[in-house]
Amino acid sequence: MTVFISGGCKNGKSMLAQRLARDFADNGELYYVATMIPHDDEDEARIKKHIADRDGWGFKTIERGRDICRCLEEGTPEGSYLLDSVTALLSNEMFSGGETDFSSPERVACELCRFAGSVKALVLVSDFIYADAGRYDEFTESYRRGLAHIDRELARISDVVVEVCAGNYIVHKGVLPA
Amino acid sequence: MELIIGGAYQGKTGYAAEKFGITEEDTYICSENEMVSFDKPCIDHVEEFVLYCVKNEMSAREIFEKNREKWGSSVIMCREIFSGVVPVDTVERLWREETGRVLTWLSSEAGSVTRLFCGIPQRLK
Repeated sequence: MTVFISGGCKNGKSMLAQRLARDFADNGELYYVATMIPHDDEDEARIKKHIADRDGWGFKTIERGRDICRCLEEGTPEGSYLLDSVTALLSNEMFSGGETDFSSPERVACELCRFAGSVKALVLVSDFIYADAGRYDEFTESYRRGLAHIDRELARISDVVVEVCAGNYIVHKGVLPA
Repeated sequence: MELIIGGAYQGKTGYAAEKFGITEEDTYICSENEMVSFDKPCIDHVEEFVLYCVKNEMSAREIFEKNREKWGSSVIMCREIFSGVVPVDTVERLWREETGRVLTWLSSEAGSVTRLFCGIPQRLK
């Protein structure tokens, strides 16, 4: 089972994702794939907030900011995985190696699709950053185009696609489990 | 007229090809630097034409209204650019608002309106 969730920031995507991942685990292994590599105090605070939100849910945390398929070195294929977020993962893959890696979107899309096919359940969280009037530099625009490519691929292979808007769920594909 | 909307890179072009058989040759791509042309069966990136109009103090809606018979059975595509933060730049600010207005009007004129989200079409009208 693969679920893809996107929408605006702080709209309730993570809460839905946590619930779904836990339900899919069905008392089996439940993993949280932490993608954010903290760069400053603000990131640290954001991570603390996410950790507090997950407290008591039974998640085992796998810290993996790159090479997502390597999650299976720590977790089992029978597990249910929550990956939050695709946005941070691409940012790491594209920008953290010194030179900007313009080929990373294709690679990340393939790796995520392969990872989705390798585990019992995967819930993916991304961010909808495509409907503003900004004119961006080449790097930012490449990132935006790349993330959209990954999003479309993930939506294509997912059983369920949900847009979260102010805590409400717009189901674009499949049926959202109760 | 069939209207296809959505955020950047959401799969509008692919959907137009799949649903209406629109090819690259069928498509006029609007630019912020020139007057729109209605010669091809598909007009893409209407938001860029709106920017042209804002920069040249023209009304995109009026130009569309005057040429109604030329696009009455066209496929028209437009990027949603009207969410996000209000831009500081005056032209960008007017562009963002005007695109919202023009798209709302085009939507009322359209026989169908489809919005793409991560490659998935949703029929709005």
